[in-house]
Amino acid sequence: MPPIYLGEFEYAVLLATLHLDQEAYAVPVRELIEARTNRPVARGALYTALDRLEGKGCVRSRMGDSTEERGGKARRYFTVTAAGLKAIRATHLALASMTRGLETLLEQS
Amino acid sequence: MISPSRFAERLLTVVVRDPEWRDGVIGDLREEHAKLVGRLGATRARRWHLQQSVGIAARYGVHRLLRRQTPPRRWLAAAAQDPDGSWTAGFSRDVLYAWRAVVQRPALSGAVVLTLAVALAANATTFSLMDAMVLRPYRFPGVDRLIVAATSANPVMLDIESVARGDFRDWQRESRTVKQWAAYEWWDANLSGVEIPEQVPGFKVSPGFFSTLGVNLAAGREFLPDEAEPGAHRRAVLGHALWTRRFAADPAIVGRSVRLDGEPFEVVGIAPEGFQIPLGAQVWAPLAHDAAAWDDRRRAFLTVIGRLADDATLENARAEITTIVARQRRDFPETNGKREGQVVDFIHGLADPGAGPFMAVWQAAAGLLLLIACANIANLLMARGSERSQEYAVRLALGARRGRLFFQTILEGLFLSSLAIGVSIPLAAVGLGLFRSALPDSVIRFVPGWNFIAVDLRLFVVTAVLGTLAMLVFSLVPAFQATRAHVADSLRQSGRTLTPGRRRGWLSSTLATSQVALALALLFGSGLLLSVADRAVNGALGFDKNNVLIGQVVLPERAYADADKRRQFITSVARGMEQIPAVSDVGMTSNVPAGFSNASRSFLPEGQDLRENEAPVVDFRRVSDGYFAALRIPLLKGRWFDDRDRTDSTPVAVVSTGLAEGYWPGQDPLGRRFKTPIDGEWTTVIGVSGDVVHNWFTRRRDHTVYRPVGQDAPFQMVFTLRTVGDPTALAGDLRRAIAAVDADQPISMLSTLDQLVNERAAGLAFIANSLVVVALIALALSVLGIYSLMAYLTAQRTQEIGVRMALGAGRWQVLRLTTAHALRITTIGTLVGGVLAFGVGRVMQSVLFGLVSTNLWQLMVLIAILAMAALLAAYIPARRASRIDPMIALRES
Repeated sequence: MPPIYLGEFEYAVLLATLHLDQEAYAVPVRELIEARTNRPVARGALYTALDRLEGKGCVRSRMGDSTEERGGKARRYFTVTAAGLKAIRATHLALASMTRGLETLLEQS
Repeated sequence: MISPSRFAERLLTVVVRDPEWRDGVIGDLREEHAKLVGRLGATRARRWHLQQSVGIAARYGVHRLLRRQTPPRRWLAAAAQDPDGSWTAGFSRDVLYAWRAVVQRPALSGAVVLTLAVALAANATTFSLMDAMVLRPYRFPGVDRLIVAATSANPVMLDIESVARGDFRDWQRESRTVKQWAAYEWWDANLSGVEIPEQVPGFKVSPGFFSTLGVNLAAGREFLPDEAEPGAHRRAVLGHALWTRRFAADPAIVGRSVRLDGEPFEVVGIAPEGFQIPLGAQVWAPLAHDAAAWDDRRRAFLTVIGRLADDATLENARAEITTIVARQRRDFPETNGKREGQVVDFIHGLADPGAGPFMAVWQAAAGLLLLIACANIANLLMARGSERSQEYAVRLALGARRGRLFFQTILEGLFLSSLAIGVSIPLAAVGLGLFRSALPDSVIRFVPGWNFIAVDLRLFVVTAVLGTLAMLVFSLVPAFQATRAHVADSLRQSGRTLTPGRRRGWLSSTLATSQVALALALLFGSGLLLSVADRAVNGALGFDKNNVLIGQVVLPERAYADADKRRQFITSVARGMEQIPAVSDVGMTSNVPAGFSNASRSFLPEGQDLRENEAPVVDFRRVSDGYFAALRIPLLKGRWFDDRDRTDSTPVAVVSTGLAEGYWPGQDPLGRRFKTPIDGEWTTVIGVSGDVVHNWFTRRRDHTVYRPVGQDAPFQMVFTLRTVGDPTALAGDLRRAIAAVDADQPISMLSTLDQLVNERAAGLAFIANSLVVVALIALALSVLGIYSLMAYLTAQRTQEIGVRMALGAGRWQVLRLTTAHALRITTIGTLVGGVLAFGVGRVMQSVLFGLVSTNLWQLMVLIAILAMAALLAAYIPARRASRIDPMIALRES
């Protein structure tokens, strides 16, 4: 199976999900991406991306516990699947190979 | 806990159908909302929550809609699988199938949607323009109770500026069906006493003008009856725009005075915002005459409006005015002999007279485009229907009801049309935007309703109805096709396909043929209009429009009552301009060609015994000696004006050659004499000039009489300066030259003659250009139509072709076999189209004042282009067919 192509935003979402490990649901995922990339993330875009990633088989989701502050609504946690990991690696390698030889230029900025 | 917006959560519940996702999303938002309440306060957190929810709903909703195997498909599928056999289950299933049919063939659906969208957008644009400029150019309460009454000599052409003061007075006294009357006449006022004097579009109106229209002033009051007396008449109502622009919207201006035409006028009121009736008026003053002048029946220039009495109808008023006018005709045969009473509703009377015919031409073109698009779509849908005949047959064999298949096909059509409607609205908005920016401001003033051109609910409704109807009609063919499917035949055919059913093929070919015909007619019509527009700007005008700077001055009547003073003004300005080296000729005329005003008088040649009301009307100009040189109008006989032509010498005139040939055919016009009823003196012809086209829509070469300024000095004058190099560079010099003679005189229409000619034809040129675009779209659609039909037919015959080639048919023969059909379609299409085009030419000739000449050669070229394009479209699939490997073709099933 050829590796799944990831868009830049999907790539960021997957990495954030990996970072958060067991605690990955939409709210912290968004906060993490915003904090690290220093860019605002629309919630609608995030849900859309997560839905698309689930459709591609890159993430799996499970329903968690509900809390009082969520008005009894359960959290939807995401985990990166094996296919997701493969996609991250493929994208990472592709980008890395593209930047090879440009390190000095990229470090400066 | 402070709860977030319930509406927002309900919205999300509707959009996010998957229950797990729904809980996740709503829960996440609640969690963040709870955190924000502490930081932002309850209200702002609530607003934040609502905004986010709407954002998510929009984005996520679109995303799910576009994805397969997701809502609405998923929940439709769930409903469709309900075993209870209820009608909702059946309906959901039908919707689902229809949607799937649309999505599964993206290229075909896309072609249908785009085709329909373009045609709908063209129609929507036209409708919107029509609605704004022709159907409802005036929108204020009670406008339907207003009438316009006129007494033009020609009962077919409505000329609203045609009522004599005496006649108007009679109507006011005698009419029972009209409870309030008002009259007005043109008055472009010179506003001075301000830093830059300016000419303001204005009208003299009878007291009661504003109340007749039912308009309440924004400030102050309207004119009182005794202000219509000479002496008490220096009162003015200012337009809202003028008040804001020149007087900083200062309410204290009411009661103060402004200088109009060099005299102080007391401002008594401010018109409400947006009110500029008639014709972009920005200042109104009382129409003041003494009792004798009010009895005058000779000069008929008033426009008369009235408000119907409560129990009266337009027909009542028409009957009454006709009776009164008939009596006036009997009582005053000398002056009223040819007058006919005309009463029309206000909108009809004051709408732009040119807009109607143009809009009609354009609407017809847009309608044709829609027809072509529909023929295209019908063909595409039928082709698809044929492809699916096996599917239908199988479903019928398995027990599907024919009504169900019918309904599904119609539903597919509705899906497609809704998509097309959605696409067409933005397209129409772009079209309207283009139109709005195409006309210059100086023209817009004369187009009532211009400000109402916009994308509005009506446009949307009309487009939706049109799109849905068109699609319904054209879905019917494939829908019936679906229900007529013969189970046994179709299933049998699936083994070895022959050419499709004869009847169906006939229908498709007819549709393609009609497309070709309609496209040809449209191309021809738009070509005609384009040539009219081109000739209006670049054709032979009788003068040289290049390198001429023009500027108009209207001298106030009171200050310049003395003709010598006016002459002095003209000479001084001319002398000032002659000093400038870049100016080669300085001229002056009372009415410049292509200008917005014209002056005409009855023409009574000596020895041809004509009653005054039978006399022909000719254009009348007062010009300076240098005018002909400045415009390069050729002298054909005799001499131009010079210093010999003074008030104390014989009255002389130069006439245009068309006039000379018309009234003194075969004779020497020099030395002939004529009279105009206003001058009353015999005037001798001393020269014959070339003909000049005053404006494009009276392209008949206007008969013109020129009189020298030395003998007859006008109040309104246009200076014409022929320059070396760019004329606009001298605009400042002209302004200064005029200010040096009289600083109070504003200069209007300061531009070049070339610009004026272009502006005059701007509307026409734009309509012609957009028609060409419409025609090119039509051409593209019909070529596409032929291509898709031929591609489809050829694909259907793949096996047949395979058999033929296996039996030894050559490539050339296959090519001929497949293109013969297209050739037939094209030939019949162009023949029918040629006849249609001829008809279009005739119609346009009658609509466009006989400007159009049907050009056979042009038609031939178009036919050639169309035939080439059509045959090329047919050649592509034919070539593909001729390269088929027989083995592959035979194996295909």
